[in-house]
Amino acid sequence: MKLFRALGSYLLLSALAAFLAAPFVWMLLVSLHPSKAPIPTIERVVPTRFEEGHKVFDPHFENYKTVLFDSGLPVPIFLLNTVFVTACTVCLVLLFTSMAAYGLTRLRFAGRETFFRMFWLSMMFVGPVLQIPVYLIVRSLGWLDSYYALIVPGASSAFCVFLLRQFFIQIPFDIDEAARLDGASEFRIYWKLILPLAKPALATVAAFTFIATWTDFFWPLLATNSLYMRTLEVGLSVFKNSYGGNNWPMQMAATVIVMVPVLAVFLYAQRYFVRGIILGSTK
Amino acid sequence: MKKSWAGYLFLAPAALHLFVFALLPIGYALFLSVFKWDVLKPNKPFIGAKNYVDTLTDSAFWNAMWNSTKFALVSVPAGLAVALFVAVLVTQRLRGMAFFRTVFYIPAVSSGVAISILWIYIYLPTSGLIASLIQMLNAGIAKANQLLHISLSLLPTDIDFLNDKAWALWALAFMSIWTGLGPRMVLFSAGLLGIPRPLYEAAELDGASRWQCFKQITLPMLTPTTFFVLITSTIGAFQLFTPVYMMTQGNPEDSTRVIGYHIYEEAWSRFHVGLASAQSFVLMVPLFFIALMQERFMRRRLEGFSIQ
Amino acid sequence: MAAALGFWLNLGLGCVNPKTGGKTILRVATWGGAGDDSEFVKTVRRLRQEFEKQNPGVEVREEGIPGPGEYVKKLLQSFVAGTEPDIITLDASSAAVFIDNDVLLDLAPLIAADSEFNLNDFYENVVDIARRGSRLYAIPGDFTPIVMYYNKRMFDDAGVPYPKAGWTFEDFANAAKRLTKPGQFGFKFVNWMPGWITWMWNEGGDVLSPNGDRAAGFLDSERCQRAAEFLRSLVSVWKVAPSLSQSAAAGVDLFANGQAAMEVSGHWAMIGYKNSPKGPDGRPLLRIEDVGVAPLPSNIGKSVTVMYEAGFAIGKNCKHRELAWKYIKFMTSHRVQSEYNATGIAVCARKDVSQERAADERERMFLALIPTARAPWGAKVEGYETVERAGETAMNAIITGSKSAADALAEAARKIDKDFSRR
Repeated sequence: MKLFRALGSYLLLSALAAFLAAPFVWMLLVSLHPSKAPIPTIERVVPTRFEEGHKVFDPHFENYKTVLFDSGLPVPIFLLNTVFVTACTVCLVLLFTSMAAYGLTRLRFAGRETFFRMFWLSMMFVGPVLQIPVYLIVRSLGWLDSYYALIVPGASSAFCVFLLRQFFIQIPFDIDEAARLDGASEFRIYWKLILPLAKPALATVAAFTFIATWTDFFWPLLATNSLYMRTLEVGLSVFKNSYGGNNWPMQMAATVIVMVPVLAVFLYAQRYFVRGIILGSTK
Repeated sequence: MKKSWAGYLFLAPAALHLFVFALLPIGYALFLSVFKWDVLKPNKPFIGAKNYVDTLTDSAFWNAMWNSTKFALVSVPAGLAVALFVAVLVTQRLRGMAFFRTVFYIPAVSSGVAISILWIYIYLPTSGLIASLIQMLNAGIAKANQLLHISLSLLPTDIDFLNDKAWALWALAFMSIWTGLGPRMVLFSAGLLGIPRPLYEAAELDGASRWQCFKQITLPMLTPTTFFVLITSTIGAFQLFTPVYMMTQGNPEDSTRVIGYHIYEEAWSRFHVGLASAQSFVLMVPLFFIALMQERFMRRRLEGFSIQ
Repeated sequence: MAAALGFWLNLGLGCVNPKTGGKTILRVATWGGAGDDSEFVKTVRRLRQEFEKQNPGVEVREEGIPGPGEYVKKLLQSFVAGTEPDIITLDASSAAVFIDNDVLLDLAPLIAADSEFNLNDFYENVVDIARRGSRLYAIPGDFTPIVMYYNKRMFDDAGVPYPKAGWTFEDFANAAKRLTKPGQFGFKFVNWMPGWITWMWNEGGDVLSPNGDRAAGFLDSERCQRAAEFLRSLVSVWKVAPSLSQSAAAGVDLFANGQAAMEVSGHWAMIGYKNSPKGPDGRPLLRIEDVGVAPLPSNIGKSVTVMYEAGFAIGKNCKHRELAWKYIKFMTSHRVQSEYNATGIAVCARKDVSQERAADERERMFLALIPTARAPWGAKVEGYETVERAGETAMNAIITGSKSAADALAEAARKIDKDFSRR
């Protein structure tokens, strides 16, 4: 009975996994068809050619080369922009939100609870309301179409402050009380004691911020105008409108190129994601 | 209070950021919404509540709100049900569950643009992945008809999901179940693992069936998680943007013109920034109400954490 | 670490910023998208490099914004942001929105002060598209009337005579019916208003009132309904054109792939025809010598068409005005235009280049159609984007049969007028 149940579970899970993975497999296969090839039917989705009457596997990896270097778009620049912006954002978020969380949990000062309430409330302001004023504020700072516009508005996050606060509260208070009695400065306690203990939570924040920044579309779309300031996500969105929508192998190759880095990070850091989501739900 | 200056210092960067990029913008948006603020035009006259009146009487706005509501009403419950089902499966004490959890999470971390392009392809009539699967199914049905001398009708393969107004919004909803599965599954898994096992053991001793256990123990114990997932998913559903921008641009016949996209177009394609601000406030009323419900609910759970 | 981070940030934001880097950067907006390595892409790249070689220390950055409706939106956004490109390729069909919002530089003083440049080298009606009184906002590069392309081999195989001037909708439909067979459509229809508006004109209707301020009584007029009905019949009744979903399912250009006998498009389509994919026999699916060009069919005696033009304009606040003007002169020069238009993109707005190219029979036909071509509405009406969006929505409903032509067009007209009243 138990065995049957397990077997059934595996079957169901495999079917679901196939459902989730099939689009990606399909995408990879289509990206290897020759440029401008008609849309293959399911029997022909594996790119093949005939050689002496035999079907042989015939992948067109040159599509990737075309997308990266011969598309007329500075794809390597898109990639560099994305890496730079993401790296800066992750560092700043880690620094600012952990400092805030330290202040909110370890230090006493007037209005602390009010501050926390404000962070908490701001998580409820939804994107559509903020997009216009934030754009105009960034414009009046003269930052549009620069790295400042891409980095600074994302440099802190109420969600991450909240997440880290939840974690910091669970770190025993006698650790820093002891250090304080020994005369350690607050910065030293924060930097040398609390941060090392909070590593898993920080990794979670880093992983989240990385994915959110790397895959952000709306803000970079609005905040940048020149081609050389575009991020990968926005830059490659033009592939959809290119080729009159008629060159699927090339579009799929571009799609794979956007997806691979972020998937790699996810697979590397997946356990932190899981932890982060659970922390975020205050479990 | 000796330490108070240190507290403010530690809080300063994040608080300043919060002020400039969240609190100030809310006030600014409120200010903009009472002007005829067309960014391209030099004069921006004060018009009082006219933008709000225009918004409330605009059938295109309400059409967009209704589209978003329909999208949320379908994608959220279905997404929750699927995620809960998957979570129950992957929290079993079996080998290899970590692998499945990873696979199920992948769509959620993939780029929205890439996912959208991919799903345009999946939804293509006749030649897309779904149409191909229907074709395979049809081949099976035809064979069954032949063998069993029955006449089941074949399924259509030429549905243009993204260009047919009967399908387009549901196609987007279906896709969002796929992309949203990961985080929801993880949340439910966490909730499930938090249910004390003795409860189940006791129930099993009483001879309860699996379904009874699920109904009597799992669901009630999971209520907080469900509530959290429900609310975040609903707010997320009302903010849908990238797939619409990439896949349908609100077509066909405005059937996928959801509110997030509508406001974007009003502001950045027609440059009616004042009107768009008013629209976003009208949108925010129900969303803020939902969020407040969450806040009240969460605060009750948070009290357990309050500091000495 | 915080200090190090700050230092690194400063360094990064200051120096790595791709906008600076010692060179003068000339940003040129076009509506091109990601390319493949076709002849056209290579030619454009080569011309750009040539200009850079002539002007040391200058880098030309072409910034493509592809996609219907995207170009105007994104460029206006960049003007709002104050980060617009130096040179804007000005499409006749959206000239008004840029001119009326006063974001372009008046080029007349530059022309007057430059003895090397002669405006008389260009076709006058093409120049006039961007002229407002004594002010001129763009120098025309190239243009194209919308034409009917046909596949001569398919006509020969079906024994259908080639289309000729004076043919009517009925002649066209009959030809399309005879040219339709399994695996081949008589006509390739796309729901692209800049292309299908000509059917309404050739039925004697129009989408806006003569001064361009309202759609009611025009877009929803009986003549426009008849034209829309005709297009629906092509797709849904006679089935001589693929349905919208059939086109999508193919995922390729049906005319360029030798699966449709006729297509309405502009000169730029020739680039695709020249690059027609190869069939299993290794030969192109569409041979360029099989491509014929004909006037559009008309029910009002005299065929009319629309002329889309690409001009070069300079942003009002451009910081490198001289350089930008130099670039425009380079791009509109005789030699550069000869090479550029040899790719098949369009008809040159310079009379000398066009005359030289008229040796080709197809090019002659394009030139012959110039007098019948109207400037697009978007050259005059600022909010024309709205009209195209509403029009395409209506056409989608009509073609798929979800609404009658009368209902769909009336609804579109209402939507357009409401939007016009908001401005």
